[in-house]
Amino acid sequence: MAWYTVKRLIQGIITVWFIATATFWAMHEVPGDPFIGEKAVSPEVEANLKARWGLDKPPLEQYWIFMTNMLQGDFGISFAQESRSVNDIILERFPVSAILGILAIVFAGLGGVLYGALTALYRNQWPDVLIILLVIIGISVPSFVFASVGQLILVVINQILGFNVLPVAGWGDISHMLVPALVLGLGTMAFLTRLMRSSMLEIVSADFIRTARSKGVPAAQVFSRHQLRNAVLPVITVLGPSVASITTGGFVVENIFGIPGLGQSFVLAVQQSDYGVIMGTTVFYGAFLVLMVIIVDLLYAWIDPRVRLE
Amino acid sequence: MALLDVKNLHVEFTTYGGIVHAVRGVDFSVDEGETLAIVGESGCGKSVTVQSIMGLIPMPPGRITQGTAHLRGHDIIQSKVIDGKDIRGNFVGMIFQDPMTSLNPTMTIGAQIAEPLEVHRGYSHRQAMNRAAELLDMVQIPEAAKRARQYPFEFSGGMLQRSMIAMAIACEPSVLIADEPSTALDVTIQAQILDLVKSIQKDTGMAIILITHDLGVVARLADTVSVMYAGEVMEAGSVDDVFYRSAHPYTLGLKEAMPTNQTGRSRQLKPIDGSPPDLFSPPKGCSYAARCPHTMEVCLENNPNAFAMQDGHAAKCWLHHEECEVEAEDLYQA
Repeated sequence: MAWYTVKRLIQGIITVWFIATATFWAMHEVPGDPFIGEKAVSPEVEANLKARWGLDKPPLEQYWIFMTNMLQGDFGISFAQESRSVNDIILERFPVSAILGILAIVFAGLGGVLYGALTALYRNQWPDVLIILLVIIGISVPSFVFASVGQLILVVINQILGFNVLPVAGWGDISHMLVPALVLGLGTMAFLTRLMRSSMLEIVSADFIRTARSKGVPAAQVFSRHQLRNAVLPVITVLGPSVASITTGGFVVENIFGIPGLGQSFVLAVQQSDYGVIMGTTVFYGAFLVLMVIIVDLLYAWIDPRVRLE
Repeated sequence: MALLDVKNLHVEFTTYGGIVHAVRGVDFSVDEGETLAIVGESGCGKSVTVQSIMGLIPMPPGRITQGTAHLRGHDIIQSKVIDGKDIRGNFVGMIFQDPMTSLNPTMTIGAQIAEPLEVHRGYSHRQAMNRAAELLDMVQIPEAAKRARQYPFEFSGGMLQRSMIAMAIACEPSVLIADEPSTALDVTIQAQILDLVKSIQKDTGMAIILITHDLGVVARLADTVSVMYAGEVMEAGSVDDVFYRSAHPYTLGLKEAMPTNQTGRSRQLKPIDGSPPDLFSPPKGCSYAARCPHTMEVCLENNPNAFAMQDGHAAKCWLHHEECEVEAEDLYQA
C-alpha cells in the first residue's frame, strides 16, 4: 500500500509537470500579450515593460526561470493586478471555489443516490420515467445554460414574491451558495442517478437480497442495509473523477453568478493574457485534480473491505 | 396434522415467450424431526416450489395459481405472518446453494447472523452479536468471536455455508429448508456440512426439507423422498421404498444413471434419452411419456393421478392401474 501510494504520487508529479509545460508553450503561442490594452503603447514603453517582466528573454530561458521558481513554490506575480503575487490570489480565491465545489459534490452525491434509488424502486413506473427524462436533460445540457435559466427563474420568483428569497448573484453567506452549487452539481447528479439506478437494479436480484428476505427482514431494512449499501459502491468510485467536471464547470458558473472564486479569476486572466495567473492557476488545479483522483483511489480501498487486503 | 403441509401447488411465470408452468400440482408434507428430500434434475421446479411457499420468487412475473400450504395449520400462502410474526427466519429457516453470493459482501458475518435475532426476538445489537458468536461456535467455526467480526470474503466456501446454517437456525426454526446446500462445495466439505445439519436436527428436532439432485445425499440424510419431474411429483415415499422398490420409470432411470462402486459392463451408466418437456406448453398426458421405455397409449392422452401403495408410497404412473397388464413389480428388478 505504501509503495502503491508512492508510485501514484510520482506518476502525479510527472502529470503535473506535463500540464505545466504544455500550458506554458501553448500560452506563448497564443497571439497577444499582457500589454495590449485599449490605449496604444509606444514601442519604447512596451520594450521597457517587456524587459521589466523578463519577456524579452528567449522562451527557453523564460521556461527555465518559471520552472525553477515553481519548484520553490513561487508562481510569480500577476501582470494585470500589479504587484500581487499569484500565490496570494490563489490563497484568497481558492477557498471560495472549494466551498462551492464541495457543496456541489454534496448535492450531486445525495441527489444521485436518492433519485437513483427512487428510479429503481419505481422501475418503469412514472417516477422512473420522469426522473430518467430529467437525467437525459441534465447530462446533455451544459452548465452555463442551467446557470442562466436558474438566474432567470430566481429573478421571476423574487419579483412575484416581492422580496429576495435568494440572491441572484454575488457572494457572502449560505444563501448565495445554494443556487450556484445546485447548478454546478446538476450534470454530475444526473450522471450519478443513472449509475445508481443500474447498480440498484443489479443488486435487487442478487442472491444475498433473497437471503435477507428469507430471514424475514422487513422490506425497508432489506432496502437500506442490504441493497443501498452495496449499490452505492460504484457511485463512490466515480466521485473522484467527477471532482474534475465540477471544477471545470465552476469556471463558467462562477462567472455567471459573479462569484469571486479562482475560476472567475482564471477566466479573467485568460482574457487579459495574465501569464503569471494563468500558469499558477493551471498548475494548481492540475495538481489538485491529480491529488483528488489519488485520494479517491486510496479511499475506495478503505471503504470496500475486499479491496483493502489486496 | 403435519407440521408443514403443501397440497396441489401450482406456480406459473409470465415471460415474453408465454407462460411457464413451472410447478404443476405438487403435494408434500413433513413432520417434526423428519427429513424430506425433494430430488429431480435441474429445472424440474424443486427450488421454485419451496421459494414460492416462502414468498421469495418475484411476483410478478411469478404467481401461485392454485394450492395450499399450511404451517401448523396456518395458511402461509395468503400471509407470511403468524401471530404477528413473520414466519421467515423465525419458524422457517433457509439455506441456499451458493454461499459465496448468498451473503452480503459489505456486512460482517456476525451482523448477518445477528439480524434475524434483532428482527424476530427483539435482541439488542450487542446481545445478538454475542449470540451470533455462540452460533458460529455451534457450527464448528474456530475462534468464533473473532470470526464474527470478519467479512464473507475472508471465509472459505465451507465456512460460509456453516455461517449460513448458523444464520438459518438462529431463531430455532421448526422447519429448515436447505436448497441444494452442498452443491457448490467440494466433496469432503459436502459431507461435513450434511453431518452438521443432521446433528443440529438431532439436537433441536426441527424438520428438514432438503432439495438436491444428488441421490447419495438423499440416502445419507432423508427419511422420505419426493421425486420431481417437469413440475410434478412423480414418486413419493420412504427412502427405502423409493430406492429399493422404485415404482416409477423415471426413478428407475435416475438410478441407472447414477454411478456406483460396482464394476463390469452391467454397471455401465445409462443416460435417460431425450430431454424434459417444454413447460410453456406441457404435454396433455404424462410428462415423462416421451422418454419412458414403457409408454402406452393411455400415457400420451391422460396424465395419471398418483396411485397409492402401502406406507404412503405413491407413484404417478399408469403401470399401477389395476387394468394394466404389465406387472409393476417387474420394474423393480430393472
